[in-house]
Amino acid sequence: MKKIAFKTLGCRLNQYETDALASRFHKGSYQLVDYNEPADVFIVNTCTVTNQSDQKSRQTIHQAVKANPDGLMLVTGCMATNHKQSLLETPGIDYVVDNDHKTSIFSLIESHFRGEHPDPEGFDEDLFSYDPAFKTFHTRSLIKIQDGCDNFCTFCIIPSVRGRAVSRPVNAILDNIREVVDHGFKEVVLTGVNIGRYDYDDVNFEQLVAKILELPGDFRLRISSIEPDGFTPHFFELFQHEKLAPHLHLCLQSGSEAILLKMRRMYTAREFRQLAEQLWDRYPDFNLTTDIIVGFPGETEKDFQDTVQMTKDLRFSHIHTFKYSVRNGTRAERMDGHLTERIKNQRSAVIRKISEENKHLYFNQMMGKPQRMLIERISADGIARGYGENYIPLRIKAKDLKRNTFVNVKPERIHDAKEMELWAKLL
Amino acid sequence: MKLRTTQDNTHELLDTRHLTESAYVLRMSRRGLQFRSGQHILLGEAGSIHNREYSVYSAEQDDYFEVLIKEVDDGLVSKQLKKLKPGSMLQLEGPLGFFTIEPGLIGNAKFLFVATGSGIAPFHSFVRSYPALNYKILHGVRYASEAYEKDTYPSEQYVLCTSQDKKGDFNGRVTSFLESNPVETDTHCYLCGNFEMIHEVFEILERQGVPPQQVHAEVYF
Ligand SMILES: Cc1cc2nc3c(=O)[nH]c(=O)nc-3n(C[C@H](O)[C@H](O)[C@H](O)COP(=O)(O)OP(=O)(O)OC[C@H]3O[C@@H](n4cnc5c(N)ncnc54)[C@H](O)[C@@H]3O)c2cc1C
Ligand code: SF4
Repeated sequence: MKKIAFKTLGCRLNQYETDALASRFHKGSYQLVDYNEPADVFIVNTCTVTNQSDQKSRQTIHQAVKANPDGLMLVTGCMATNHKQSLLETPGIDYVVDNDHKTSIFSLIESHFRGEHPDPEGFDEDLFSYDPAFKTFHTRSLIKIQDGCDNFCTFCIIPSVRGRAVSRPVNAILDNIREVVDHGFKEVVLTGVNIGRYDYDDVNFEQLVAKILELPGDFRLRISSIEPDGFTPHFFELFQHEKLAPHLHLCLQSGSEAILLKMRRMYTAREFRQLAEQLWDRYPDFNLTTDIIVGFPGETEKDFQDTVQMTKDLRFSHIHTFKYSVRNGTRAERMDGHLTERIKNQRSAVIRKISEENKHLYFNQMMGKPQRMLIERISADGIARGYGENYIPLRIKAKDLKRNTFVNVKPERIHDAKEMELWAKLL
Repeated sequence: MKLRTTQDNTHELLDTRHLTESAYVLRMSRRGLQFRSGQHILLGEAGSIHNREYSVYSAEQDDYFEVLIKEVDDGLVSKQLKKLKPGSMLQLEGPLGFFTIEPGLIGNAKFLFVATGSGIAPFHSFVRSYPALNYKILHGVRYASEAYEKDTYPSEQYVLCTSQDKKGDFNGRVTSFLESNPVETDTHCYLCGNFEMIHEVFEILERQGVPPQQVHAEVYF
């Protein structure tokens, strides 16, 4: 039996695609092994969203090639799409497969082992025909609902490497969710590049979510990362449904109106504030997390202070902080006022600190409030860990706990380790 | 950088219409490509790796595509495209963008279009695509000679704001005009052109009580 190892960098969508590929290879009688073990095939699913992602992708590839000179090395994902030529010229890499042809990787490897010399571009372009991801590397089931993005934010390379927005048919999504729920998954996470723009045969994102919530079975649905534009009041009502997790990762990027305009974002800071307030009016414990980019070209101290103020006011319980990094071919690359690394580092440190403080505030707010925890792993010392519906990391110690089951718990105190969690007790 | 292009996204340049020394309209074959007024395309010379965004200037029902381009000093693509001769091939991706009008509002709502310079392009397309539109245009330019094809718009619906000469309908920037001529709060406002104007107009409209959901912006640079 041939051994195959995967390494994924970057976003949830990449993770989903790796999971789906891994499931396909597992079904095809390959043995999935850890990335540090010897294997016959290595697949690196790369990311190109920042300079650091490119570097990390390259490092990962080099390490794998060095550790396993005889293994077959296939590189795919956004960096493979963006830097195809230079990767093809890199010694040790056997195949470079762009995003459009990722679904055909299993067929390509099979063809290779039959002694053929397949051309990755000779396979059909297809964004959605992945196998259901049963063989995942975690308890949550990621479900791809769309790919691509037409927003063209001025800093972002994603529309160029993922292409135009395309939505997956409604029935295929519903069938996929039925399958994974029947298979035993308890949490479904919608994924894509810009899922809020979902639109298939006049079914928009909100309508799709409503349809998913009507599916039978004991599972919960997490929307996760979404752009803050295009919501109607109906969207807020959906969160009354007990299956829909009261958490959104709403990407703010900047609290400065001027910078949002330069970023070509589709909302104003004012509208974002209104949105958060509407959510909290209805659901006071709603968990909002976000992304912030510091050091965008032309970001003045005043612009940055607007971001600081907004991240404090909106109490995001987690802020994924990015230092602006130039991506070739984007509009921001051609803008004036690029900032030094020193300023970006300083600003990034300020936002990270606010993120930590906000997390403390939010975790304290949630103390004593019941959560339905999905147990993701249980360590040898009997401590179970997982997330509540509000996406708070919880830990409990009790007898007879089982992985991938829901338990009702009450958070009691903060576990202040590197990654803050809440100790809870069973109800 | 890889841009996803369909195999057949080339369009023939039919004509270049020079409006001023630096502004010109490129007319190219349409080839059945659908778009909604207000959207833009990514346009470059066929075979070139460089392209830029340009709003569609022509109407949805025209059997050709047009874009209005202002040549930028030290610019790359706006200069390249100006040199092309009819019969040259252009590479086009799109249409893209969400700077469009909800069909239900056409004929039923009031619109204000605020442009600087070549930012008039999507409004030209709106006006020509939707004859029932109830609108007013504020066009900010430096000199009255930059009032690109202003005969398209009935004079009572078009206010030319000139900042460097006194030959416009209003002597000053669009922002000054708006300060002294407040906007009714049920107006749907579309802003297009340079960043500074759009940023200032956003603030003015907010002060005048126009809800942010009714304000749409397309920043060119
Ligand atoms: C969505 C969108 C739609 C657009 N539609 C149009 C359109 O319909 N017509 C049009 O002429 N342009 C339009 N633009 C601007 C256009 O995409 C290019 O930026 C412009 O043509 C300059 O490109 P370039 O390669 O010549 O200059 P570059 O080499 O890219 O840039 C040179 C410098 O010029 C600045 N600059 C860019 N545009 C202008 C301008 N108009 N006046 C002064 N300085 C400028 C840039 O910030 C940069 O610093 C649009 C931009 C966007 C984002
Ligand atoms: S919405 Fe903006 S940041 Fe997100 S993928 Fe699209 S272009 Fe990139």
